[in-house]
Amino acid sequence: MSDQDISKYLRETHDRVFEHNKAWAAEQTAKDPEFFAKMSAGQNPDYLWIGCSDSRIPAEVITGLQPGETFVHRNIANLVCNTDLNVMSVINYAVRHLQVKHIVVCGHYGCGGVKAAMTPKDLGLLNPWLRNIRDVYRLHEKELDAIPDEEARYNRLVELNVMEQCRNVIKTAAVQQSFAKNQFPIVHGWVFGFHDGLLKDLEIDFKNVLADIQKIYNLTD
Amino acid sequence: MAEQDTFLYALSSNNAWAGYKSHQNPEFFPKLASGQSPKILWLGCSDSRCPETTILGMQPGDVFVHRNIANIVSPTDINTSAVIEFAVVYLKVKHVVLCGHTGCGGAAAALSNQRVGGVLDTWITPLKAIRNANRQELDAIRDDKARAVRIAELNVQKGIEVLMANVTIQEAVEERGLDVHGVLFDIGTGRIRDLGFGTRKQGAGGASADEVVRGRHATLVFRGGNASMKITR
Repeated sequence: MSDQDISKYLRETHDRVFEHNKAWAAEQTAKDPEFFAKMSAGQNPDYLWIGCSDSRIPAEVITGLQPGETFVHRNIANLVCNTDLNVMSVINYAVRHLQVKHIVVCGHYGCGGVKAAMTPKDLGLLNPWLRNIRDVYRLHEKELDAIPDEEARYNRLVELNVMEQCRNVIKTAAVQQSFAKNQFPIVHGWVFGFHDGLLKDLEIDFKNVLADIQKIYNLTD
Repeated sequence: MAEQDTFLYALSSNNAWAGYKSHQNPEFFPKLASGQSPKILWLGCSDSRCPETTILGMQPGDVFVHRNIANIVSPTDINTSAVIEFAVVYLKVKHVVLCGHTGCGGAAAALSNQRVGGVLDTWITPLKAIRNANRQELDAIRDDKARAVRIAELNVQKGIEVLMANVTIQEAVEERGLDVHGVLFDIGTGRIRDLGFGTRKQGAGGASADEVVRGRHATLVFRGGNASMKITR
């Protein structure tokens, strides 16, 4: 498109300010006249979603959950590190203040962060962040080394990374204490596949994993 | 909706969405699987009422996302820094959008004199500092909601300063004209307002050039303080 065409196109589309956004807002109001009033009143989400920053996985779009239903944290390769105050604050707030019922750690096959982490290269600022993924590999070195196909091995690492991050969520005081008192939240591990758009539930046995973790990481009194 | 129902709903809804998408466009998922080239990095709040892709009217593949408590950008936070590095250096996004919002719980917490507890007080320290630096102006606002909106604006302003001081961002602004925007999402109306901070200050130096961002599925046009959009598929 030439510059002239672009500016013509711009004129044509001007005043269509956030047209789609308007349509969406109108649609919500038509379905429920109180929608935005309720939204303004506060949030009461059942879910905390910890996912990858990857542009192809907008939590609300792929799950069909509505605004107000999912509290969201997204970072490179959906990592939960115990010294990262950013994600720890998100978990703390979601569990203790919003009292979410489910925490989902959602990874995805073909994750660029996981691939980058396994590349023998100095990535500067990304090194300390991606190092956590190499640690996951080390924990499951035998299993992963035994997978001959490279893509299959990466995909398995993606799944193991999700499970490890679920464990890290369960290691927090907020989750352990809330579960002891309320029987929630439950922690789930999911993986999103681009080839079919489907979510795979890794079916983490929450109660057993929790008991296992608490042998060492118990933070309940 | 009962607890387990919501959970099952999300999974079955995903199933329906995937079926609908591939029926509508059989190339949708193969195209997604081939890689991402988002034009926008979105730095926003974790608040469940601010789903970035939905409120921008965009599609999977269009927006790279980091969301945390109160959309705080701290220069030494490795989590946010890693996201910025990946998005700016490797994905070469064209725009960085920092978005605050009305009715932010983090803003309310920073305005109160009570401890939030756990690690949260440490996390919101930058917001507390903003409150202290602007105490007179904030205290003069009688309405609680309006005061929370004002501190949310100041928080975006501060966050933009931090972004503009980020070396990776500075280099990209210099070398390839990366744009940095500070905006506020109004939960009560669903509209986004450009606060005019960042690389193209609102009203400064006359009309700035229009900016066209072609996402995979939509075209977003920034003009002055406004934006318009067209779905391309």
